[in-house]
Amino acid sequence: MKRSLKTKVVLAFLSGAVALNLSAQQPPTPTPAGAAPSNAEAIHETGQQYKEGNALSGAGDNRVIGKQALVDSDMAGKQALLNTKLNTFIAFFNNPLTGTQFEKFLNAPPETSDAAKTYRERISTIMDLLSPGNATKENQDTAYNLLPKASEFESDANICTTIHDAVYAAANSRVEVQRLTDLNQTLEKQREVAEYNNLQATRDVPISPTAVAKGDEANNNANLQAERDARLGPAKRELDSVSQTIEHNKMEIATSEAQAKFQFQALILQLFVQRRYQHVIIADRFYRALFDDGDQSIETFQKMAENLGYNADAGQLKVTAKGDPNVAGAAGSGGGAGASTGSNGSGAGVGNTGGGMDGSAFSASGMQFGVENASVESLMNAVSSGMRTVSKTFKTLSQLDGVANEIIRDVDEGVTVYKYLLSQNEVEAATAQLVSLWTKGEYLPSVRLLTQDEKRSSLKYAQLINKLVTASNSGNIDTLSEVVAEMKKQASDFDATEILANIQATKVASSMHIAQARVAASKGDLQTVQTEITRAASIWPNNPELQSFSTDMSKLSEQASPQVQALNDFDQLYDQKNFRQIFDDKEKYIAAISQSPERQGKLKEVLTRMQEIETSIMRSQEIARRGDPAGAWEGLEITSVKYPDDPKLNQMRADLTTEAPEFVHDLHEAQTYEDKKEYGSALAWYLRSQSRYPMSDLAKEGVARVVKEIIPDAS
Amino acid sequence: MPRQKKSKGLSSWAIPAVVVLIALAAYFSLHQGSADASLRTVQDLDPDLYYQDANSLRGNTYKINATIDSSLGNSPFTGRLFSVDLNQAVSGAPPAILPVLIPLNLGSLTIQKGQHYLMKVKVVDNGMLEVQEAIKP
Repeated sequence: MKRSLKTKVVLAFLSGAVALNLSAQQPPTPTPAGAAPSNAEAIHETGQQYKEGNALSGAGDNRVIGKQALVDSDMAGKQALLNTKLNTFIAFFNNPLTGTQFEKFLNAPPETSDAAKTYRERISTIMDLLSPGNATKENQDTAYNLLPKASEFESDANICTTIHDAVYAAANSRVEVQRLTDLNQTLEKQREVAEYNNLQATRDVPISPTAVAKGDEANNNANLQAERDARLGPAKRELDSVSQTIEHNKMEIATSEAQAKFQFQALILQLFVQRRYQHVIIADRFYRALFDDGDQSIETFQKMAENLGYNADAGQLKVTAKGDPNVAGAAGSGGGAGASTGSNGSGAGVGNTGGGMDGSAFSASGMQFGVENASVESLMNAVSSGMRTVSKTFKTLSQLDGVANEIIRDVDEGVTVYKYLLSQNEVEAATAQLVSLWTKGEYLPSVRLLTQDEKRSSLKYAQLINKLVTASNSGNIDTLSEVVAEMKKQASDFDATEILANIQATKVASSMHIAQARVAASKGDLQTVQTEITRAASIWPNNPELQSFSTDMSKLSEQASPQVQALNDFDQLYDQKNFRQIFDDKEKYIAAISQSPERQGKLKEVLTRMQEIETSIMRSQEIARRGDPAGAWEGLEITSVKYPDDPKLNQMRADLTTEAPEFVHDLHEAQTYEDKKEYGSALAWYLRSQSRYPMSDLAKEGVARVVKEIIPDAS
Repeated sequence: MPRQKKSKGLSSWAIPAVVVLIALAAYFSLHQGSADASLRTVQDLDPDLYYQDANSLRGNTYKINATIDSSLGNSPFTGRLFSVDLNQAVSGAPPAILPVLIPLNLGSLTIQKGQHYLMKVKVVDNGMLEVQEAIKP
């Protein structure tokens, strides 16, 4: 299927991760003049000071830098996501307008009630009565009378009543036109009489038949002129009055019909924008019946639509639609609005997807649909723009009628496809299909008759999309991975490969920042440490390396404490078995370990051991002073067997060895032969060493041990 | 009170007694001479050699002239184990206190600390010295 959800989220993540890097390296955005200083400014100043060699003042600076880096990273990530939202499921499911409406649709029960069935039957009857070939005067009247009844049902939203009123108003205008036409005919006759009267009035009639006296001609002519004027005045006024009335009525006739046509066309186009395609067909057929002059052009409406108001301050209701040729025929051209029939199906689209036409857009064929900046004013702007666009798209109402029929057929076919995809457990494709169906024909019977069970899979998929977005927005990669796994489980056609790869890449990016932080920490560069850690956390807050890094840093900071240093030294010496050093500095360790119960056992063990060694050494020294080096040596030898690693003990034992070399030699020889199990020789050596130092415990014990080996049953 | 009559010469039982004594002396003299003769051909044990590498002497028989030092153990199945102090001709030599095992076949030999013996010993496994003959010089 298309590069749908997975690709978008992946892209969002990728671009987010990349943006994190970039944003952190970009210079701070300049603050507009007069604006309050921002964090970026503060950081900039701090950075300047730092560049100039002034040491940063401390943790406060770090916090500011870290906070700003976090904000930058977060914003960059979210912006990247938002930029890709518009053409994805994500945008569809997560915008307040379409998302909630679609979710309501998914949860709504099918319209299978008796009332809904009756409504559908009445709409169908009306359409049949008005269909070409059936549209007799009687059928038109019957259909007209059915309109108020069809409007009784809630799902009709009183649209049939609106059509009924529009038909009535148009019919009234036709009556008025006829009346004015009839009146003009009467007036024409009156004008003919007035013209005749006027003609007769122009003919001269002498005031007096008597002859005019010589020298009185001028006076007589003036009198004749005055008489003529008096005769022509009424006739002229009558003629002017009738002519003006006729012209006025002609204008009235023209205006009334144009207005009626415009209002009706506006209604039809509005219904098309509302995706009430059955009503479009009904209204269109009434229009043809009412205005049977063959003029189906909507040029008049187009001119009027151009003058519709647009509140620029209200902003744009950004409804972006994108046709998907795999789902339906592409609707309109990329840069503007239009209607066309695609090669892989049919569809109609109204709207603009950019290219300079601001305002709203609406796609009747695309599966992807995004809305932003929804408000009353922006919605009005959207309607205004939509109407303009529709008027540009369609040149005649016949086109509109045909497209509406095609959409109905396409939606019916789409419902069949949707059910098939569901049966194949291809939920992602099915959901895309359903979004397309709902977008195109939310109010068409085939869509309204989908059961809750049939929509359930798509609802769950939509909910997973929401979770996916929430997880991606929060940067919770672990949750994101879980959601992806869940989606994969639910939708067999959901290809998670790419998104999982990019999740991994994001994890690596986070770990790279931590690695950078470690390098910086080793150099003592705390600013970089904090910045890198902030970045790492913003990319992947649950990165386990963050915890380990934090632990390491805590250890480093604690190393400054003498007590902690003592404890660390103790641990190190203990691991090295350097108990002598611990004993030599026992005062320090006793004080430090008093606060560390887990080490107290070890310290006690060390002290006991060293006490025993020291006692042995002191005793040997005393014996040696009495002139018994063999005895002194033997005492240390016995102790060294138990504690072979004490350097002082070993040194002293070595020193004493030189003072009783024969005895030590004999004893070692005896032990060597004993180890070889040559007990006769071993016994001879033990006996000899014993003869050299009769008080030797080692020799005595050796003899007893070897004798036991030679004659085990000795008594 | 009557006084005991003083003897004037050998009594009648004295002569046989003297003969018996002479015979016994001759017997012991002859017997002793044969033991000495059996040890006379046996080589003396070199204690240094023994200490250095008793294993290399395994199977050999030597003669030692030693004084019983102490009893180390007594087994009804193996015999008696003693330490003996070699009587060395060289003065200042290191002490040579050796362990010797008196096997059961010499069980009749009465051995006590401080007794001086000439012993014929054999170096057996593990460097042990097993006594084959022992006589008092």
